Amino acid sequence: MPVWKNLSVIRKVVQLLAFLFLVYGSVFVGFYSADKLSGAFPVLACAYDAKTADYCVLIPLQHQFGHRLGPALSAGMFSFSLILPILTTLGTFLILFVVLNKAFCGWLCPLGFFQEVLGMIGQKLRLKRTESLDPELLDRIRPAKWLMLGLLVVLFPLASGLGFVGSELGDPFCKICPSRILTSLAAGQLNQLYIDTSSLGYMILSILADTLFGLILVLSLTMRQPFCRICPLLAMHALFRKVGLVKLVKNYTSRCDKCGLCAKACPMDIREIHTSKEKDILFPDCTLCGRCVEFCPDKGVMALKYVVIPIKVSDPQYFKERNRAQKKWEGKQKPSRRVKKAS
Amino acid sequence: MGATLVVALFSFTAQAAMVWSPVPVEKGHGGHDRRAGKSYLLENGDGANLHLISPKLESKEISAISGRVSVKPMGMDNYHALVAIRNIDHRHESAIRYVYMFGKPSKESPSRLMGYEKSALEIEPAPYAREHWRYYSSTDAQFIIRFKGEVIAGAEVIMQTSNGTRSTFTSDAEGRLTVPLPEDFSDVKAGRRANRAAEFMLTTEREDGADIYITSFSAGYHVNPNHWQSTELALAVVAGGMLLGGLITWRSRRRKEK
Ligand code: SF4
Ligand code: SF4
Ligand code: SF4
Repeated sequence: MPVWKNLSVIRKVVQLLAFLFLVYGSVFVGFYSADKLSGAFPVLACAYDAKTADYCVLIPLQHQFGHRLGPALSAGMFSFSLILPILTTLGTFLILFVVLNKAFCGWLCPLGFFQEVLGMIGQKLRLKRTESLDPELLDRIRPAKWLMLGLLVVLFPLASGLGFVGSELGDPFCKICPSRILTSLAAGQLNQLYIDTSSLGYMILSILADTLFGLILVLSLTMRQPFCRICPLLAMHALFRKVGLVKLVKNYTSRCDKCGLCAKACPMDIREIHTSKEKDILFPDCTLCGRCVEFCPDKGVMALKYVVIPIKVSDPQYFKERNRAQKKWEGKQKPSRRVKKAS
Repeated sequence: MGATLVVALFSFTAQAAMVWSPVPVEKGHGGHDRRAGKSYLLENGDGANLHLISPKLESKEISAISGRVSVKPMGMDNYHALVAIRNIDHRHESAIRYVYMFGKPSKESPSRLMGYEKSALEIEPAPYAREHWRYYSSTDAQFIIRFKGEVIAGAEVIMQTSNGTRSTFTSDAEGRLTVPLPEDFSDVKAGRRANRAAEFMLTTEREDGADIYITSFSAGYHVNPNHWQSTELALAVVAGGMLLGGLITWRSRRRKEK
C-alpha cells in the first residue's frame, strides 16, 4: 500500500507537524501569548514550554477559578464580569473545538503523539504488547478522567481561591501534567523537571508529576495511550462532542456481531463501537483517530465524516492492504515467555 | 511606609535617573506586576509628563500625587506601558515600565507595545518575561537598545538592583543587550511566596549634538526557584516511576498468563 494512502501514516505526519508547531512554534508566531492562536487550545500544548505557539485551555481555566472567581467569592463579591473570562476561555475553546471535534486528540496533541511514538518504539523493540485492557479494569479507569477534570481543573482551584485549601492546589492539574515536563524538555528546558521542597504540598505534587511521567514513559511502550485514559481534556471534549463537525458513524449490519475488528483496532479500547447499533458512535473516550474505520472489513459500515461529507469510509480493499502494511510494519512478534516455555 | 521603602531602595542611584517602581501593597507579596500594586512611584520625576499606553497604543494622561500614580485598567487585558517623559532644554529623559492589567481580551501582541517608540531613546525588552514567566535571578534578560527607531550597537547600560548590585553592560552589533540577573538575594527562604521580589533598573544615555538623552527601564525579579527545586531528585523519581511502570506491566502479564 502506498504510504500516502495509509490513513495512519497521514495522521502521523499531521501529528509530527502539530508537535513541531505547538512545541517550537513561537519561533514562527512570536513569543507572546496574544500572538498565538488562542490561549485556550483544545490539546495539552503547554504554557510552561518557552517556545510554545499556543497553550491549552486548562491553564486559563484553573487560573480563572483559582485566582479570580475564588478570591472574589470569598470576599463576598459576585458579578457577571467575574465569570466573563471563564466564558471567553470556554467560548474560544468551543470555536476551535467545533471545527475538529475530538480529532484534536487523535491528530494534534503533543502528548498523544509522544505516547504513540513510544508505542511504535515498543513495537520495533519487539516488546510484547498489551493489546486490549480487561473490560473490568477499563470500566474502573474510565471515570478517572471526569474526576481529573472536576477536581483538578475546577474544584481544587476554586477551593484554593476561596481559601479552603492551600495555594499549592491553585493549579493542581498543571502541577502534575506530563505534557508540562515533556514539552519543556523537548524545548530544551530543564526547569520543569523538578522536585519542589518548599512545602509538603508542592513536594507531593512534584513527586506525583515525576512518577506519572516515568510511568507514561514505560507503560506507553507496551500499552496504547496510557495517559489519555485519565486525561481531563478527554472528559472536557466528551462534554461538547455532539457539537463537533467531525463525526464517527456506523451503519450496523448483523455481520458486525461476529466481527469486532474495529474494537480491536481501537487504541482507547472502546468495545462499544463493535456492539453499538446506533449511527453516532462517537463515544466519550474516542480520539477520532480513525483506526476503527481503517480496520473495518465491510464496505461502508464505518465512516469518518465532516458533517455529512465522508472523509474515510470502510472498504474491503483498503482493509486488506492496510492489514498487510500493518503486518509488515510489526514484523514477527517475539513469542511470549509462556509460549517459549511450552515449546 | 511602602512608598518610603521604595524611595530608599533606589536612593543610591548615582545619576538620579527618573525611574518607576511599584508601591508594595501588602506584606508577603512581592512586586508581582500582574496582580499586586497598581500604584507606582516615579522617583526623581518632578515636572515629567506621565502617560499610560494600552496594548492597542491608546495613550491616556495620568497624574502623580507626591510622585505616586495609581493606574486603572483601560478596559483590556495584557501589558500596558507606564511612560514618563521630561524635556528640559537639551536634556530629554524618559522612564518606562510595563504593567500587566486584567480586562477584556485585548487580542493584541505585547510585541506591538514594546516595539512602539515611546521615547527617542529606549530600552526595549526583547522579549519581556511573558505571563507564566517572570524575571528570575541567575537567568539572562534580553533587551534591544533603540534611538529614534534605529538599534544602537555599543550602548553602555548600567544595571542597579534594589539588593545593591551594580554592573555595566554593552549592547552588541545588533543592539541586543543581555543582562544576567544577579543572584543577590540574602536570606533566601524556600518557596516563591516566601521571598519578596526585588527591583532591577537599567539606564542608558546618548548624546546627539547638543542634546542628551537618558532613559530607564525597571522591572521586578524573583529568587530563582532552583533554590528549592531539584532536578537530580526529579530524575530519581522519574526512574522510580519507570520501575513502577515495569512492575505493573510485568504483574499484569503474569496474571494474564495464569
Ligand atoms: S501544564 Fe498541562 S494543563 Fe498546564 S498549561 Fe501545560 S499542558 Fe496545559
Ligand atoms: S486525551 Fe490524550 S491526546 Fe487528548 S489531550 Fe489528553 S493526552 Fe492529549
Ligand atoms: S473509536 Fe475509532 S476513532 Fe475513536 S479512538 Fe477508537 S479507533 Fe479511534
